[in-house]
Amino acid sequence: MEKILTKQSFPEWIEKLSAYKVYAPIKKEDHWDYEVVEKAVGLDPAYGNAVLSPKKIIFPQREVLFEFGSQTKEGFDLKENLPEDEAVVIFGVRPCDAKALTGTDKVFSGDFEDPYYRKRRDAATLVGLSCNTPPSKNCFCLSVDGSPFSKTGLDVLLTDLGETYFVETLSDKGEQLVNAASAFFSDSKKKEKKEVEKLQIDAEKKIVRQVKDVKSLPGKLKEIFDSSFWDDESLSCIRCGICTYLCPTCHCFDICDEVTCEYPLAGKRVRTWDNCQFPDFTMHSSGHNPRPDKASRLRQRIQHKYNYFVERYDEYQCTGCGRCIGKCPVGIDIIEVLNKVNEHGA
Amino acid sequence: MVNLEELKSEIKRVLGEGKVKYFIGYRRSTGGLPAAPFFMKETEDVERLIWDPTCIANLTRFLDDEKKRKARQKEPDTRPIGIIVKGCDSRAINVLLQEEFIKREDVYIVGVSCEHSGMVDEKKLAAKMKGKAVAQVDFAGKDNFAVTAADGEKTGIPAAEVLAGRCVECKVDYPVVRDVTFGEELARSPGNAFKSVEKIEAMSVAERWDFWKEQFDKCIRCYACRSVCPMCYCDECVVDTINFAVTAQTGAKEKAQKIKWIEKSPATSENFFYHMVRAMHLAGRCVDCGECERVCPVDIPLRFLNKKMEKEAKELFDYDVGMNPELPSLVSSFRDEDAEDFIR
Repeated sequence: MEKILTKQSFPEWIEKLSAYKVYAPIKKEDHWDYEVVEKAVGLDPAYGNAVLSPKKIIFPQREVLFEFGSQTKEGFDLKENLPEDEAVVIFGVRPCDAKALTGTDKVFSGDFEDPYYRKRRDAATLVGLSCNTPPSKNCFCLSVDGSPFSKTGLDVLLTDLGETYFVETLSDKGEQLVNAASAFFSDSKKKEKKEVEKLQIDAEKKIVRQVKDVKSLPGKLKEIFDSSFWDDESLSCIRCGICTYLCPTCHCFDICDEVTCEYPLAGKRVRTWDNCQFPDFTMHSSGHNPRPDKASRLRQRIQHKYNYFVERYDEYQCTGCGRCIGKCPVGIDIIEVLNKVNEHGA
Repeated sequence: MVNLEELKSEIKRVLGEGKVKYFIGYRRSTGGLPAAPFFMKETEDVERLIWDPTCIANLTRFLDDEKKRKARQKEPDTRPIGIIVKGCDSRAINVLLQEEFIKREDVYIVGVSCEHSGMVDEKKLAAKMKGKAVAQVDFAGKDNFAVTAADGEKTGIPAAEVLAGRCVECKVDYPVVRDVTFGEELARSPGNAFKSVEKIEAMSVAERWDFWKEQFDKCIRCYACRSVCPMCYCDECVVDTINFAVTAQTGAKEKAQKIKWIEKSPATSENFFYHMVRAMHLAGRCVDCGECERVCPVDIPLRFLNKKMEKEAKELFDYDVGMNPELPSLVSSFRDEDAEDFIR
């Protein structure tokens, strides 16, 4: 359904959602971050995008899988720690970040479904916000089958019309959210729908950065796997984890036991984010490291996003949010790298 | 003024004569600013070299990469690396020399003077420009920058309004160690080089705890602060889950006995531990190049920690970090005649 919500009523809508844990982008120093809303306010018009996508809520950096104690006669004392049953709603989700989650859904589903991820994902209702203006100068969603008004992965999409929001519900979860405060929503008119269409056309024109000939990348990437191209491109890489940790699609993790220094022994098995740009990511216990240098690690990041993932799931593991470009301490620009890949040997 | 053409021809000469393996400088990044590190191998690469107030990155961090690369090669090219350094960066080279991490002949140092202004803070400039995209920033005489917006409009901005924090408290804005210098060497009087720390020092212990807890709770442990730091060159770091000192010869027992000092979880305790360990290991070594704070994706004000350590070194030992390569390194030396009992 399509509705209209005045901006004045927006905080009142949030207040009606007491059955949910509500997240929204909150301003911190020079960036935005999703946090639990303490007091309902409107979305700040200055909001671009959060430094970390809603990935941090659906796939938290730290997830306790189970707790364990010492061995007893009955066996090991184990307690599974599935996420609590708690409905979550996330406001202000940008279309690229919602689309990213649909890719991660595929990774954590299939033959071996991940109950931790699935539970959090199913419990979350994503309220998107169309990008009337690109949130970053490095936005390139149009190159990777996205759009500043994409609905993929969202339950509701809000479009800012100045005084009001044009509200589209895109799933049952989304309808429930609107129905929780239906009095605030009025029916939309043709004129408003037209305005949204016009805004979308204008917004797409404002996205200036693009990956050229993206369809030929998987093939090209296979060809240059062994090229010294990667050595040159990675010279300035400092092997930090910004590009991957901030990426809305990166989903690699590590599993560790965190044990208390007490008797009787007890601990937690914990899943944390991990990062292919860290040298220890592929380090074997023998001391051998199959990805021993920056070149092989940059290659892995690019190949995974534009080759391996495409082979496996027929979509890019990149939604063009531009975070890895804007936040890279040394100016490594995935668009520039990909365009060079395409030109390589031409 | 640094004459860019003269700078380019010097680098071309050095590269052309084959005196260095490659030269590290700056190029314009696709985003405009800050400038990106630039590795020049051929003389024609030098055409893309830039020198302006966006060249904020401390390139000495790449000397660590080079040392490790050389160690991996059977027959390494032992020629020096050419590098462009600002005043603060040159102090990092002095520390690396003091610690014998590099030898003087490993580097051919081209120093550039910041000429009484300094480097631009990208965030301060963005706030000043109210969201308008910036294409280029140039030096415009003493204490001024000329900013060219993406739409071509030019504005003059007083440097003080957009200067990086490190430059506001700069101790020396020309290189203290170099083979050749471009630009004028101007004596600088920074006033109070530790002014920013006073804000934290004025807090009560409880307030300080709250301040740092909020800051460290944001940390996502991307380790960009460690990765960008020229002093964080250890093969082995307590925060890594795997010890890089492990080789094929390391026995199972020895591996099993390695202590795990810190969890990978970004919990309050672990984040504090990480940042405290880093700060302590930088005491008397940090030259306040400010790179850790610049690259932090979640805006943790790390300079406060390192600045405090630098201040302690100055007040307790009258030690100015990175100013004199002849001095022994502060944290790895002691004197018999030292008045303090604890030191003997």
